[in-house]
Amino acid sequence: MSKRLYVTPYRCIDCKVCEQACSLAKTPVPGIPAKPRVQTFKVDDQTNFVLLCLQCDEASCQKVCPTDALVRNPETGAIEVNDRCIGCGFCVQACPFGCMDYDDIHNEYIKCDVCKGDPACAKYCPTGALVWDEKAWTDQEAKERTEKKSTDPFSIALEMAKK
Amino acid sequence: MSKTKTSKTVHLTIDGQNVEAPKGAMILDVTPGLGVEIPSLCAHPGLEPFGACRLCVVEIQKPGWDDWYKQLVTSCLFQVEEGLKVWTNSDEVRQNRKVVLDLLMARVPASDVIRDLGNQYGVTKTSYAEVDTEDTCIMCDICVRACHAIGRDAIASMSRGPDKYVDVPDKDACIGCLVCANLCPTNAIPFTANDNGKRRIWGKEFDLVTDERSGEVLGTTEYIEHVRKRAEDKGLLCPEDMKHESARVKRYGYAQKLSHVADVEEPIEEVK
Ligand code: SF4
Ligand code: FES
Repeated sequence: MSKRLYVTPYRCIDCKVCEQACSLAKTPVPGIPAKPRVQTFKVDDQTNFVLLCLQCDEASCQKVCPTDALVRNPETGAIEVNDRCIGCGFCVQACPFGCMDYDDIHNEYIKCDVCKGDPACAKYCPTGALVWDEKAWTDQEAKERTEKKSTDPFSIALEMAKK
Repeated sequence: MSKTKTSKTVHLTIDGQNVEAPKGAMILDVTPGLGVEIPSLCAHPGLEPFGACRLCVVEIQKPGWDDWYKQLVTSCLFQVEEGLKVWTNSDEVRQNRKVVLDLLMARVPASDVIRDLGNQYGVTKTSYAEVDTEDTCIMCDICVRACHAIGRDAIASMSRGPDKYVDVPDKDACIGCLVCANLCPTNAIPFTANDNGKRRIWGKEFDLVTDERSGEVLGTTEYIEHVRKRAEDKGLLCPEDMKHESARVKRYGYAQKLSHVADVEEPIEEVK
């Protein structure tokens, strides 16, 4: 069975490690991190929320794109932006969830492509709110398997920079 | 679209490297990642190939041809074939690019893009009489093709021969999206992206729509209307409700709306 990205919002602690990991993993120019594809929010005192592209079956972004620049990768199931993009920004307007975005630093239209099958967000998520696996984790599993992970963004940045 | 989708592949060599390429692809499309560099100004992977700038010339030899015989073709317009041999940087190719750059330098003496390319090929000054102009348009039609792609067809090349120029005959058709100006290889389309909530391009002034909450510029009124219409045409569920907000604000709204699932002990499946 192939792997999927499981999102369990109630485990999110809004530590922004996924955002940081995403920024660094998606950096097109070394030293200038990209805009993250994933975002976490503090909705209210008790609720945090982690949000990233839902890879819709009938994706609005794909439908409005005039140059077929948004193509689903059959291996990961994720829709990716390819080099056919002419930068019209239609997809950003069309996505109802705000998951298509424009990175003004690198002048790129961006979305989550689950890192071509190895999502950095899930790799560094310390709580199991984001999990890249063949099955969803139970709370117990999430706890056990993530106990060793650090939530300190600096050590994570360091770890990623070493690669 | 120009690229025929077949599962068939062909084998060719590019500068001695064996390459497998999908049938129907152009030579220029299969070069990324090979470490060969073909200069090209008028090609864009998302637009119809056009072959205007002639900078992408390469030498080819088909199987069965005499050893000494090669042909110069524009790689953005030449489809890959089984057994094709391609040279992207031979003396003949370089010589031809020099001639093209020599001519372009005479046509658009003010363009620094052309000047830099010329320097790479050792053409520092044109041998022809320079046209007296500040314009840097090289008539590559990228803007025309891009405007066609987004469904506006506002830009057209006018007149012909040496007097040919690119313009927007029907100002109403332009929506101020700036796609043309951003794609132009020689930055020949002047524009002001945001001057106190106004945008100017092609001699037309537009009002900009900003996101109330984040203050981010979303585009011109005409642009937003065009996308909404397009979404409707493409059968998107509720184009009337299409939220014209910045991505972050949209996400936040969605997070708020969905935050009740944060209490549900079932994970959301992301990728099917
Ligand atoms: S910005 Fe690029 S990916 Fe998005 S709709 Fe336009 S061409 Fe397609
Ligand atoms: S890129 Fe081939 S002619 Fe311009």
